[in-house]
Amino acid sequence: MNAFQYTTALSTDSARQLAADNGAYLAGGNDLLGRLKEYLDSPKILVNIKSIAGLDRITAGSRVWTIGALVTVAQIETHPEIRAVFPGLHQAAAEVGSPQIRNVATVGGNLAQHSRCWYYRHRDTVCLKKGGDLCYARHSENRYHCLFTGNTCISPVVSNLSIALTALDAKVILLREGKETRMTVPELYQKAWDNPTAHNSLNPGDLIVKVEIPVGRTRSAFLQVSDKHAFDWALVSCAAAARVNGGKLSRARVALGCISPMPHQSAAANEFLEGKPLDEPTVAHAADLILQGAQPLAFNGYKVPLARTLIRRALLSLKG
Amino acid sequence: MPSWPAETKYISHSTLRVDAPAKVSGRARYSSDIQAEGWLYGMILRSKWPAARIAKINLENALQIPGIKAALAVKEGESIVRFYGEELAAVAGTTKQACLDALRAIEVEAKALPFVVKENDARAEDAPRVWPNSANAGEGKPKEQGSVDQAFSECAAVIEGFYTTPVQLHHPMETHGCTVSWTDEGVTAWASTQGISSVRDGLAGGLQLEQSKVRVITEYMGGGFGSKFGAGVEGLMAARLSRAAKAPVRLMLTRFDQALAVGNRPSSFQKIKLGAKADGTLHAFELDNYGTAGIGGGSSEGGGGDVAIPAPYIYKVPNTRVKHTSVAVNAGSARAFRAPSNPPASFGMESAMDDLAVKLGMDPVELRLKNDPSAVRRREYDLGAERFGWKQKYQKPGSSAGPVKIGVGCAGATWWGGGTKRTQGEAEIHPDGGIEVRLGVQDLGTGTRTVIAVVAAEILGLKPEQITVKIGDTHYPPGPGSGGSTTCPSISPTVFDVCTQALQQLQAQTGVPDARGDNWPAACKKLGTSPLVVHGQWQEGLSSGGAGGVQFAEAAVDTETGQVTVNRILCVQDCGLIVNQITLESQVNGGIIMGLGYALYEERVMDHLSGVVLNPNFETYKLPGMADIPQIDIVLLNMPERGVIGVGEPVTIPTAAAIGNAVANALGVRVSSLPITPAKVLAALGKVPPPTAKPA
Repeated sequence: MNAFQYTTALSTDSARQLAADNGAYLAGGNDLLGRLKEYLDSPKILVNIKSIAGLDRITAGSRVWTIGALVTVAQIETHPEIRAVFPGLHQAAAEVGSPQIRNVATVGGNLAQHSRCWYYRHRDTVCLKKGGDLCYARHSENRYHCLFTGNTCISPVVSNLSIALTALDAKVILLREGKETRMTVPELYQKAWDNPTAHNSLNPGDLIVKVEIPVGRTRSAFLQVSDKHAFDWALVSCAAAARVNGGKLSRARVALGCISPMPHQSAAANEFLEGKPLDEPTVAHAADLILQGAQPLAFNGYKVPLARTLIRRALLSLKG
Repeated sequence: MPSWPAETKYISHSTLRVDAPAKVSGRARYSSDIQAEGWLYGMILRSKWPAARIAKINLENALQIPGIKAALAVKEGESIVRFYGEELAAVAGTTKQACLDALRAIEVEAKALPFVVKENDARAEDAPRVWPNSANAGEGKPKEQGSVDQAFSECAAVIEGFYTTPVQLHHPMETHGCTVSWTDEGVTAWASTQGISSVRDGLAGGLQLEQSKVRVITEYMGGGFGSKFGAGVEGLMAARLSRAAKAPVRLMLTRFDQALAVGNRPSSFQKIKLGAKADGTLHAFELDNYGTAGIGGGSSEGGGGDVAIPAPYIYKVPNTRVKHTSVAVNAGSARAFRAPSNPPASFGMESAMDDLAVKLGMDPVELRLKNDPSAVRRREYDLGAERFGWKQKYQKPGSSAGPVKIGVGCAGATWWGGGTKRTQGEAEIHPDGGIEVRLGVQDLGTGTRTVIAVVAAEILGLKPEQITVKIGDTHYPPGPGSGGSTTCPSISPTVFDVCTQALQQLQAQTGVPDARGDNWPAACKKLGTSPLVVHGQWQEGLSSGGAGGVQFAEAAVDTETGQVTVNRILCVQDCGLIVNQITLESQVNGGIIMGLGYALYEERVMDHLSGVVLNPNFETYKLPGMADIPQIDIVLLNMPERGVIGVGEPVTIPTAAAIGNAVANALGVRVSSLPITPAKVLAALGKVPPPTAKPA
């Protein structure tokens, strides 16, 4: 990696000032250090934000839970109340990496992680995402890539937490130019949908400080299928959340990961599910709506039936 | 003829690894732990091009990096590189980061050349040539026995299949490399190798030194699997850097490097036609196989890297036609890989056997019992079927209820695994009763020290912990390379001979009629002041070869996600005389887990656009983890009358074939391509829609 300065910030304000325009925030470091070692990024300064007070808390509320950006994925996984209140979030956390990774990985870092596309991460290919002319994956090895995209790059979002949080209709709160800015989770990735060189909608200096999750959806689930049974990225992941009263759905949300640069949702499907009985015909039609317009490439067509299965299973599991 | 004792206290029982405490406490020094006085880091610059003419390599800027003590080109003058990752230059420096900076500072003037990295692309008429003077696909000549076309017309059932296996990369947990110190006295190399003698000879040859001036030491090493017999470019460059920098250089490859240039198992694309008479008797067989060994047409670093596979593998078929075509591509070359040629051969043939069984309406075990010429394996099928509950578990293909379907499969193996006659050893008995047994062999990770201690203890009536075992140094009497499952059948008879002779001499010299066991200390004391040193060597009659082995697998396949879960593997393995049960079981576990990786996860992915290896890390080159590993049941047949036989290789051969057959039995359709991924399962079930997105 290239040389950098290192410093520790004690407040969000000083973190912002220290990072300036060429810095990077360091929390768990899982993603950042890999990028540095492969020379994908070479920030002038690393600002350790782990000592900033107050960002490492999980706060329960009667309407909204708040999870600080420095809360670890392992804390979410092992939090007994989260398991009861947001089981989908618990499951999403439990599928991240390995125990060692979950112990240091943070919520902010999981949401802000960059593309895992094997062309983007390869030291000797200059793909579209790296500023080159060509999306290699589109023409070559695309088994892990998108079914949907708004641009030419087909690198998908792989953050598990982003998928569960999308289904739970969470908000991401970040500091931008000294001001608190609220985004939906899909908004956090909108720029990656539009722009091949973007990984998310964060600007230089933006700092995620917390997420807020409304408690309205009492049932939630997260499922993923990978090549391996543990410590592997999802081929497709799916989260679903809703209230279920008398066997009927309300406020249902379904989101999928690893098939689009942003958490993939269908407004039509979410609307369709309102008030519907939670049964096989309902979930099958929802899957049709969600996967409408999917554009499989040479080697990722299997994601269509796989996504369909996960949508069905995730929704049906909300029966409890 | 010598013979093993009929009653044994340690042989065929379980002795824990004598070096386990050293290993688990971190005191065992692996090659990558060696810190020679004043050592430097070494690193290799590799080609970014899959094919290029290298005009000039300028090392000046690299030498200006603070901490860099030497920088050398691998070859002088112009050269051609033929694969991504080929070695260009190497540097030595005081820190890892200095070396990394230096690699980036080296200027390479190169002209990129056309390349081809996929087998099917390389076979095309107009494909770029890997070697200018020969076609990429060497036309293999079909070999025919009997009258194949006629024989197929006489068959009651004929199946055809296209079974493919990927290039499997060598990824031992300890990467390749060594520390080398080259001074005026000669070369000392602490190498991660499975052949200290072959590394010594490779260094001596490559550096033009007398063999006696080169010493190779391997106290502990973390796996080789066929890829660590030679000095390698990394060994030779470490030596040259050491000479130039006047300091020892430790050059251990990175995980990235491992994916490119330390060998692999060739791919196979097997078009098989197999026919049988109505009673199941195999009658006709045809194989047209091609595969790639990378740029190498065959062997490198110890051989065994050829694309040809034994066919029709373990079966006898009266009429056969077999053709192999080696396809050169611009990629790292093959090397011997645990049971070279056999796992792909097993996957192709055993898949065809099960497809034929389905067509004949026969139980797959019955079909094997009918056709397998090995009495030992037939016995193993009987034993295994009983233990596995085969009769209850085997159902019509695809007939289990629900979206998650259960299936079972089986497959067999063969391997030579005999000893090598060259092996020598010595024992030094001290007057205080201490005994040191020395062999110039190395422990590949299989428990070599423990095997030596067990045999010596048995012969001398001592306890294994009383034996001091010294191995891993070319200053000791020459031992075998650890390949071909030959280590145990080479060293066990040697230690038998060393200890038998030592005992005789001790008794003759001291007048103690039986110096074993309780008499040992008194006999040794009578040696007076000088220790007794006795040499011995490998003896005929204490080992043999020709292991079989069968495995059964049970798999659960989710037909809606494509995910395969292997529930259970049963291995029934004949072993000759079992030397140490627990380390043998450990080898079986390792072989099966490696076979599981070959079945479900492992595959080198080449990019046809850029020519790079796309998965040069464990994130995307997938290996089995704990969550993937099934229940493993091991039944070992102890056959002392056959002497010691090595089985490190046969135990990995049939695993992938058995799993593939279990998946086919579960689904009712075959996934005929390894690795069996969710994508391929869903495709085999006809659930995958065609591409609609435009590539543009």
